[in-house]
Amino acid sequence: MILGLVAILAGTAGAAEPSPTVTFERDVQPILTRAGCNAGACHGKASGQNGFRLSLQGFDPTFDHIAIAREEGGRRVHRPAPEQSLLLQKGAATVPHGGGQRLDPDGPFYETIRRWIADGLPRTPADAPKLARVSVEPTERALKPDEAFELRVTAHFSDGSSEDVTELSTYGSSESTTVAVDEEGRVRAGKLAGEATISARYEGLFANCDVFIPLEGDVDEAEYAAFPRANFIDDLAVAKWKKLGLTPSAVAGDATFLRRAHLDVIGRLPTPEEARAFLDDTSPDKRARLVDRLLERPEYADHWATKWMDLLRPNPYRVGIKAVFNLDGWIRQAFRDNLPYDEFVRRIVTAQGSTFEQGPATIFRDHRDPIEIAPVVGQLFLGIRLDCAKCHHHPFESWSQEQFYEFSAFFTRVGRKGTGLSPPISGSEEVVFTAKSGSLKHPQTEAELAAKPLFGEAPIPDDPDADPREALARWMTAPENRYFAEVMANRVWGDLMGVGIVDPVDDIRATNPPSNAPLLEALAADFRDHGYDVKHLLRAIMASSVYALESEPNERNVADARNFSRHYRQRLRAETLLDAVSDVTGVPDSFDASPPGSRAVSTWTNRIPSLFLDTFGRPDANQDPPCERTTDTAVVQALHLMNAPGVNQKLTSDEGRVAALAKGDATPRAIVEELFLATYSRLPSDEEREVAEALFQVPDKPRRAAVEDVVWALLNSPEFVFKD
Amino acid sequence: MTPPRNCQTTASRRDFLKLGLGALMGGGLVDALRARSVAAPAGARPASCILVWMDGGPSHYETFDPKPDAPAEVRGEFRAIETAIPGIRFSEHMERLAAIADKLAIVRSIRHDQGNHGAGNHYMITGAPPRIPVGCGAFVSFHPSMGSVAAHERSAPDGLPSYFSMPSMTRSGGPNFLGARYAPFVVSDDPNANGFRVRDVAPPGGLEIDRVDDRRGLRERLDNFKRFADKAAGDPALALDEYYHQGYELMASPQAQRAFDVSQEDPSVRDMYGRNSFGQRCLLARRLVEAGVPFVTLNEGGWDHHVGIFDGFKKRMPRFEGAIAALIQDLDRRGLLDSTLVVVLGEFGRTPKINKDAGRDHWSNAMSVLMAGAGTPGGQVVGATDAYGFAASERVLSPENFVSTIYHKLGIDPAKILHTPSGRPTFIVSDPTPIRELMG
Repeated sequence: MILGLVAILAGTAGAAEPSPTVTFERDVQPILTRAGCNAGACHGKASGQNGFRLSLQGFDPTFDHIAIAREEGGRRVHRPAPEQSLLLQKGAATVPHGGGQRLDPDGPFYETIRRWIADGLPRTPADAPKLARVSVEPTERALKPDEAFELRVTAHFSDGSSEDVTELSTYGSSESTTVAVDEEGRVRAGKLAGEATISARYEGLFANCDVFIPLEGDVDEAEYAAFPRANFIDDLAVAKWKKLGLTPSAVAGDATFLRRAHLDVIGRLPTPEEARAFLDDTSPDKRARLVDRLLERPEYADHWATKWMDLLRPNPYRVGIKAVFNLDGWIRQAFRDNLPYDEFVRRIVTAQGSTFEQGPATIFRDHRDPIEIAPVVGQLFLGIRLDCAKCHHHPFESWSQEQFYEFSAFFTRVGRKGTGLSPPISGSEEVVFTAKSGSLKHPQTEAELAAKPLFGEAPIPDDPDADPREALARWMTAPENRYFAEVMANRVWGDLMGVGIVDPVDDIRATNPPSNAPLLEALAADFRDHGYDVKHLLRAIMASSVYALESEPNERNVADARNFSRHYRQRLRAETLLDAVSDVTGVPDSFDASPPGSRAVSTWTNRIPSLFLDTFGRPDANQDPPCERTTDTAVVQALHLMNAPGVNQKLTSDEGRVAALAKGDATPRAIVEELFLATYSRLPSDEEREVAEALFQVPDKPRRAAVEDVVWALLNSPEFVFKD
Repeated sequence: MTPPRNCQTTASRRDFLKLGLGALMGGGLVDALRARSVAAPAGARPASCILVWMDGGPSHYETFDPKPDAPAEVRGEFRAIETAIPGIRFSEHMERLAAIADKLAIVRSIRHDQGNHGAGNHYMITGAPPRIPVGCGAFVSFHPSMGSVAAHERSAPDGLPSYFSMPSMTRSGGPNFLGARYAPFVVSDDPNANGFRVRDVAPPGGLEIDRVDDRRGLRERLDNFKRFADKAAGDPALALDEYYHQGYELMASPQAQRAFDVSQEDPSVRDMYGRNSFGQRCLLARRLVEAGVPFVTLNEGGWDHHVGIFDGFKKRMPRFEGAIAALIQDLDRRGLLDSTLVVVLGEFGRTPKINKDAGRDHWSNAMSVLMAGAGTPGGQVVGATDAYGFAASERVLSPENFVSTIYHKLGIDPAKILHTPSGRPTFIVSDPTPIRELMG
């Protein structure tokens, strides 16, 4: 038995002298974690289990040591006869244990704990080397179906020593049906091609191994070489395709690119005139010039601002109409000015002044408590989700409750003057300012916590007038903070491409790996190196050949849903689709609390009623918790486009395109052409012309009814509803 | 290394009691043993399910598992009341359900380890824990929901969708890999509102039926958008096609239109359910089930009582439980209860100790689930929590057992394997063992 113990403690070749004694933090705690004793479902939950409570995943060794060594009158450990210790008897299930047998009484873990008890429960000295990082070998591996291999996990300590902790680590697969991993770190490929990331966790730190099961059959290198590479995005995408044996779809034609680019940059369809001009243009750089033109269009700001409204805009019934309207206007102006993204975030995080004058101040009227605003800032601008750590150590991340409160402490000196919230009107003005003092206590230890960033340093000047939020903003937007650029680059990528490189787009963590890490890093670096210019980011993505790929799959990429070897079709967003219906029919919608002629994209709150927008999944502020935007299709959407009185009114209006075309003297051929250009941004095929023009020859069918029917048919089609 | 999740291999004291009882009442041991085996539900009409989802996680203490002998900080403000079945007690505000306890089975011992809304909803609504850890606010889907599986395995007649959700979908109530065709038909409009109709299910006023048909034909001929037939491509255009197909069927179905029309109901019946949104949704659910819809979810938020749980229950529960009681009684009266399973639950129970805001927090170690109908023996409690309601302690059951029970009653084999678009075989539920006490 002692041999087993020595094997564990001996560590890897060349490691430092093995610890002479078994100590708690270094040797025992990892076993408790590995055996699941301190898991959230067992003794690690806030109330413990059957009176025995450990800190979740062992984040608080002092607490755990007391729980084991001193509680229950010391019954849990019995030094004179360690085998009689409840800790070992329960763990080995030699007495009844609700959690079953977690320790093999003949195994090395049992022996380590036994010896630790016999030695008098020593703690690891405070000056002992600290765990610095964890690594895994290999970090990447290609497998054939059903092939298997074993991972090896190494813990590295602050004194340069290391230790093999393969047996003490826990493992998880991001796609367990594609690639499975067992409790011992043995990785096995499934039967089908695909990829997965295997995470090894040791003492709260993670290391990942990317596993690929390439498609069967070889791809000729020439095929990748022939792919037109416009920029770094193409290089990095191709590198990933090679690993999986994916081949890209063809580059899309002009009409598809035109419609896609319009919808992505300005959220509206090209007019028939614009479409015709682009399709007729023969210059080789017309796509790049189109993107440049679109980025300068006024609609750009509204379209991109709407995406941020989903994230930032509060419910006016809670916060007040004027304050929300003011914030809405500020966000739109920021996009009109193409405010550099770091400046945009800095102004939000450090907002001051009246909610009637300074838009971002409204965010601090909405989120009033430091522990409420902190996770919002973490998720939106860093892609770090901290909510779990509010109540306890984050169960699948490395953030502790203490870190959560230290991070929240940056917001303790947000002062407020004026009248606070008074729903459902809440119409008063409030002024946000830097208060002279403010503090935050750890909910358990009650210790007053100083503001501290999640990693690195964010020194707060020793000046009573300095707002800690300034230091926070500097830390967030500093070039060393990789999360800051990555989450925004990923967000924009996800908007254009249909899925983020990390998905969900604002959830960056070891256990939610990116599909192409080098691509995300390069995209973020490019964004940062160009002054966080959002338009530059858009231009870079849209200049790539990857962006311009067709959605039609080939036999080697049909199952690709995350590596961008083909374009993923997306349903148009609610606002974009309604505006498109209005543009095609030439009949604007009308919105409450908005000027006449307003477009859906300019509605300043989701409380403005619209059955159309609700049907197509705009966020619902009435739900608790508020519902996120949905991008799925649903049968109610089909029914709405077919039958809704609102849509029908646009078709039959005397003011719109249908009436004008019917009244005018255009030939059926010209009418059909215009309608195809307006809805699909392309000309009709000969067959389509024939079908549509035949309608105008039906006896007793009024010309206007023929136009109505063609428009109805075009609107009720996937070619209209989707971005291809 | 991992111990068995629960001890299904060992029979508990209650099992023996149950067996003994079965042997006395029925045809002896053979029948009693048969009750333990998995058999397809009998009866000509396949069962439907009305699932009332109390989003947020309703407290087990304040519903079906009161602990009157616990200390005040656990017991709470409410007392326990007697029900129609001696020895079974509910919390004080469950009056109308207490009166029909002979029709109800309460399971007090389902537990799991997903203590946040996103994950808890996923586990209970799909029978599978989330594949990767998810946060509290999450709306995630890694596995098809029960409603979507029901829609996949069972169809509704007369162009009716086979899975409804009102007034919205639950977080994880979607179809996942089964595809959009099996997503719920969401009726968001309020059936308690004057002039309620399910919107957009009829052509706009004034459009002759011939023209509706002509447009349909024209649309098909003008639609030349490429479809990617290989399911692995996940082409959303195929889903839209399916929706148009469903939409047309629905528009053409007088039976469907009639089922939607709650105004055809006798006013006294409408009153019995309660003239409020939830009450009338319960009534609409009954009409849908009557018309042959296999699965209806009523998604009712507002049970996340971190704050002011007692005031919250006082305000809400009488109307809420009254509507459920009315639904069960109405089904019974119409002879539909034998073929309709009513299920009431949320994602988990609530913490034993009342917190500083007079609320209770998330607690997945214990929860209470109500089931009635579809052959579920009434007047029984399955399992138990410990003396103070901290955790399920007798006949501990998993969400898999719960979901398997529902599949079984719907006539769906819980051991069935479905295939994802890329061809991966997936069990609809990983442990297909139903809760035998509920199988009748």
